[in-house]
Amino acid sequence: MQDKVLKISHMKKIYGDLVVLKDISLAVHKGEVVSIIGPSGSGKSTLLRCATMLEKMDGGELTYLGERAAYEESGKCVYVPKADLKRIRKHYGLVFQNFNLFPHYTVLKNIMDAPVSVDKVPKAEAKERAISLLKQLGLEDKMDVYPHQLSGGQQQRVSIARALALQPQILFFDEPTSALDPELTGEVLKVIRQLAEQHMTMIIVTHEMQFARELSDRIIFMEQGIIQQQGTPEEIFTAPNARVKEFIGKFAG
Amino acid sequence: MSTTTMLQLLGSGMIKTAAIFFLTLLFSLPLGLLFSFGRMARNGLIRGITKFYISVMRGTPLMLQMIVVYFAPYYVFGMRIPSGYRFTAVIIAFVLNYAAYFAEIYRSGIESIPRGQYEAAEVLGYSKAQTFVKIILPQVIKRILPPVTNEMITLVKDTSLAFVLTEVEMFTAAKQIAAKETSMLPLMVAGVFYYIFNLVVAAVMEYVEKRLNYYK
Repeated sequence: MQDKVLKISHMKKIYGDLVVLKDISLAVHKGEVVSIIGPSGSGKSTLLRCATMLEKMDGGELTYLGERAAYEESGKCVYVPKADLKRIRKHYGLVFQNFNLFPHYTVLKNIMDAPVSVDKVPKAEAKERAISLLKQLGLEDKMDVYPHQLSGGQQQRVSIARALALQPQILFFDEPTSALDPELTGEVLKVIRQLAEQHMTMIIVTHEMQFARELSDRIIFMEQGIIQQQGTPEEIFTAPNARVKEFIGKFAG
Repeated sequence: MSTTTMLQLLGSGMIKTAAIFFLTLLFSLPLGLLFSFGRMARNGLIRGITKFYISVMRGTPLMLQMIVVYFAPYYVFGMRIPSGYRFTAVIIAFVLNYAAYFAEIYRSGIESIPRGQYEAAEVLGYSKAQTFVKIILPQVIKRILPPVTNEMITLVKDTSLAFVLTEVEMFTAAKQIAAKETSMLPLMVAGVFYYIFNLVVAAVMEYVEKRLNYYK
C-alpha cells in the first residue's frame, strides 16, 4: 500500500499574467488531515481545483497513490491519457462550498447514481451503501426528498455522502461551511470530525480556525501562491511567523 | 359549395395544419439542440457558421425560405422538381427555421446551468455524455419550457404560411370557402380552430411544467 495518498511537486498555475500558484509542493499521507488556511486570493482554492483536475496546472507534478496524473516535460505540464485519468479520479472526492447537488435527483439518487452509472456498482449494493451513509450522517429520513427541501447544512452533508459513496482514498473540502450560517456550520463540522476519527484522509480549505486547530494533523498557511508556513496546529498557533500571526490574530478578533 | 364539401375542405385543412405542426416539432426540436451545440462549439469556424445560419433563418421571412427550399433543387442542382415535393419543402423550411429559434432557446438554457453542476459531475467521474444527458439536459428542459411554449404557439399560427407553396392548410381552406360563399363565417371558424389548438398546446405545456415542478 502506498503511504503517500497525494503528492504534489512544484505545482504552478498561471492565469494570463497572474501567477496564482508559484511553486507548491505537498505530500499527504494516509489518514492525515491537512487544513489549508490563508487570505482570499492566496491560491488555496486554486490548489484544490488543480489537485482535483478541475483546472489544469501549468507546471509541476501530481501523483495519487503512486500513480502519476500529470508531470512536467520540457517546461510543459503533460497529463497522462484520459483512461488513466479516469482511473486516478476515483482516488479522490471533492466537497464544494456550494454543495452542487443535482437538484432533479432525490437525496438517495444524488448519492447512488455515480456509483451505479460511473463505477457500475449493482443498484442494490449502491442503495445499501447510500442508506448506510445517510444513517451515519443522520439523514436517513431525508432520502426521498429533493435538495431544495433541505437546509444548507443538510445539503452539505448529502454532498459529503455523495463523495463518500464512491469510496475515495482522499477527500477534499473547498470551504465546506462558507455558504452556511454559524448554526448550520456546526453540523457539517461534526460530520468532518467524525470522518477524521475514522482516519479518512482529508484536505480541508477553511476559514474555521478553531476547527482547523482541533482537527488537523497539519496546517498549511498559504499566501501569494506559496506555502508560507506549515506545521502542526501547535506550531502554527503558538509559534507562528509574523505574517501568520497577523492573519490568525484577525480571526481571534 | 355544399356544406359537406366545405366541411371536407376545412377538415383536410385542419389535418394539414396539424401535420405541419407536429412534423416541424418532431424534427426541429432535436435539430435545434444540434445547432445549439454548433453555436457553442469551441471550434470558431463551426460557431461562426452556426451563428450566421441562425441570423439568416431569423432575419428573413419564413415565406421566402419556403420558396427557396422549394425551388432549390431546380436552380441549384438543375433537377426537375418532383410533384410531391411541395409538402416536403414546407416541412423542410419550417424545420430549418424553427430549429434556429430552438437552438437559441437551448443555448440560453444550457448556459444558465451553473458551472458547479458540470464540476460536480466531473469530479464524480461522469463522462461528458453522461453529464449532459443525465445532469444538464433534464434541468435545461425544465428551464426552457416557457420559451418553447411561446414558439409552439407561434408555430400553430405560422402554419398558415404554407399557402405560399399552395398547400391547402386550415387558413387557406377557410379563405377559399369564404371567397366562394362571400361569407366571413369560414374565417371565423378557422380563427376558433387556431385558438382552440393553441389552448390545447398551452394546457399540455402547462401540465408538463407542473409535472417538472417537483424540484427547483
